[in-house]
Amino acid sequence: MMPLTMARRGETVTIQGITGKDEVRQHLVELGFLVNGEITVVNRIGGNFILQVKDGRVALDRSMANRIMI
Amino acid sequence: MELKIALAGNPNSGKTTLFNSLTGSSQYVGNWPGVTVEKKEGRLKGNKEVVIQDLPGIYSLSPYTLEEVVSRTYLVTQKPDAILNIVDGTNIERNLYLTTQLLELGLPTVVAVNMMDLVRKNGDQIDLNKLGRALGCEAVEMSALKSQGSIEAANKAVEAARAKKANGPLRMYTGCVEKAISQIETVISDKVDAQYLRWYAVKLFERDEKVLEELRLTGSVKQDVENAAVACEKELDDDAESIITNQRYDFISGIVAKAVKKKREKHGLSASDKIDQIVTNRILALPVFAVIMFAIYAIAMGGYPFSIGTMGTDWVNDVLFGEIVPGALDSILGVLHVEGALYGLIQDGIVAGVGAVLGFVPQILVLFFFLAILEDIGYMARVAFIMDRIFRRFGLSGKSFIPMLVATGCGVPGIMASRTIEQDRDRKMTIMTTGFIPCGAKMPIIGLFAGAVFGGSSLVAVSAFFIGIAAVVISGIMLKKFKAFAGEPAPFVMELPAYHLPSAGNVLRATWERGWSFIKRAGTVILLSSIVLWFLQGFGFTDGSFGMVEDNNTSLLAAIGNAVAWIFAPLGWVGDMAWKATVATVTGLIAKEEVVNTFGVLYHYAGELSETGDEVWNLIAADFTALSAYSFMIFNLLCAPCFAAMGAIKREMNNTKWTLGAIGYMCGFAYVIALIVYQLGGLITGEVGFNIFTIAALAALAALIYLLFRKGYQPDGHYSVNAKMSASAR
Repeated sequence: MMPLTMARRGETVTIQGITGKDEVRQHLVELGFLVNGEITVVNRIGGNFILQVKDGRVALDRSMANRIMI
Repeated sequence: MELKIALAGNPNSGKTTLFNSLTGSSQYVGNWPGVTVEKKEGRLKGNKEVVIQDLPGIYSLSPYTLEEVVSRTYLVTQKPDAILNIVDGTNIERNLYLTTQLLELGLPTVVAVNMMDLVRKNGDQIDLNKLGRALGCEAVEMSALKSQGSIEAANKAVEAARAKKANGPLRMYTGCVEKAISQIETVISDKVDAQYLRWYAVKLFERDEKVLEELRLTGSVKQDVENAAVACEKELDDDAESIITNQRYDFISGIVAKAVKKKREKHGLSASDKIDQIVTNRILALPVFAVIMFAIYAIAMGGYPFSIGTMGTDWVNDVLFGEIVPGALDSILGVLHVEGALYGLIQDGIVAGVGAVLGFVPQILVLFFFLAILEDIGYMARVAFIMDRIFRRFGLSGKSFIPMLVATGCGVPGIMASRTIEQDRDRKMTIMTTGFIPCGAKMPIIGLFAGAVFGGSSLVAVSAFFIGIAAVVISGIMLKKFKAFAGEPAPFVMELPAYHLPSAGNVLRATWERGWSFIKRAGTVILLSSIVLWFLQGFGFTDGSFGMVEDNNTSLLAAIGNAVAWIFAPLGWVGDMAWKATVATVTGLIAKEEVVNTFGVLYHYAGELSETGDEVWNLIAADFTALSAYSFMIFNLLCAPCFAAMGAIKREMNNTKWTLGAIGYMCGFAYVIALIVYQLGGLITGEVGFNIFTIAALAALAALIYLLFRKGYQPDGHYSVNAKMSASAR
């Protein structure tokens, strides 16, 4: 397992787990970040990400990306 | 009979467009009770008996955000006759997550699948019959942007409301989860409305804090509920909330597998992604944004042949309020034989005062029009994302950027735009700092001094912007170190909607809503204050008797100005100009452009004063030194904003203490910076000798540096945990 911050642009990865407070986890789940679900890195600028999650695009900053384990 | 239909859906699902096309102009905008979440309702076009209640855009009915709490409180306590759930067909799986929660409420529900044109364009298929059957409610298709199917969807919801037929129970939960929820249903069945039984049972299973608070279960009931949840958690080795979430998504995957056929390969780049490769590119993002903003400001406020905003403003100032209105009033007043004081009040007080404010309307409307386009096509979400990395360094999030962008036009809608920031302390900090951004009305102040004292140097205007931005940055860093604001800004998570063409209706409506908040104050606060100001500077005590004064140095206004001018002496406002500068600052609280007007009046210029007041430049240049002019400018740019913006701060803070705190902070900050600039600058140029205020300025500077670089309050939580971890690692 490693944090999402290690993923490269264009890579499709499977979420292994999400860490952090319930509130944050729940919000990520609402946006479609599910354990065992796939996400694709559409673009990354520094540690910030644009991801494809289900059929939507979600922007995340580094601290959030660090909570998603792949 | 009046019917209430609640409109619910995810953000960016097209809900606003749908609401606008269903209700047209019959909208009522207010706030949800006790919170600053916008509440919109309107009557259905062609069926006035139907009230459409727009709920905030939400991703679920969890208890974590204000918008979600407001929505669920409404759905549970107000019992709308039906729910119209708008679902984005291009991202159906995620959108159905909310749908499954809405269906649990047991209210008649219609699911409207939006953006069906795009779904088809992508080569995908959604079988609405199968979808409807699986959800146990009616599912219809629509395309809000092309206004196809909108009214039909609303009519289906009306039918459902009339039939009062709730959807059948969903077979969503399996195994021990269903068992536990049924058990909870049995023990609480006499405590809640039968209609909402399933909703409450699920929420109790999840240990939803708001529902626990509301129901206040005691004794054996509380124990039974807890036992049911714990047994299930043990069996599945997960927490209750995650169990529910997983089963929900499993249920949705099952539906999607049956009802949706996808053609497009899963991870290809869409057109939207390709645009994002450029506009959110690590190197190109900021230059692209700068070019777009420069073009917008050039069109709205520039002096180019294509600057339609400036042309409109010139016309309003020179023709409408320069000739037409005064001319027409002249003849009316002539016919009515109105002369003397009343004539002066109407023409010099009201028309000149209100006209000065309305002059900005064209420029501001053009600016807001373009900002509304950027918002509607989806670019603003990207701007927030690009800016987040920069803003985070001084304790604000990228979402704070949009209010500040709007505030370059007018602070009132700027402060109102801070609503979209979820975290309370981030929002409060944004409200407190947005007023530092030079708004359209502060431009004339800059123009006046640039022209009168600094030989028209354009550097003055540039420096004013930098001062505004520096004030935001310094305040951000300083305030973050206080306990009330301590902690990281909320992590940045934002959905980026796919780019689409702007909808004329949405853009015009948004432009008007923001523009109107600017215009409205011309009719209220400014009208009233123009009258008061005219009276105060036209009347006074001469030779012991009260009456109209010839020389405004003997007016009531001068007396008031003189009485408080000492406060500003340390800022270099001394001599003849002291009371005038003081009065101008006070009138600046009414509206910032009043500062220039007031100088015009006080320097005895008879007649129309141009926007930058070039007629009194010589007189002002004689009274102000470069340094005192700059100190005056800084104070007026940074101190408390106009009354209208203060009103906006009060509305958005929703708390008297915070409102006063915010305004007090701005005034104090402005005073300190102006003091430092004047006293220390004066010492260097030799304009002021070393005096007690020099020491005060040095002390203030030291305090400022200390507040910037001190360690600051560290909130408990991950900081202390980290410290412990690194200690044990060693």
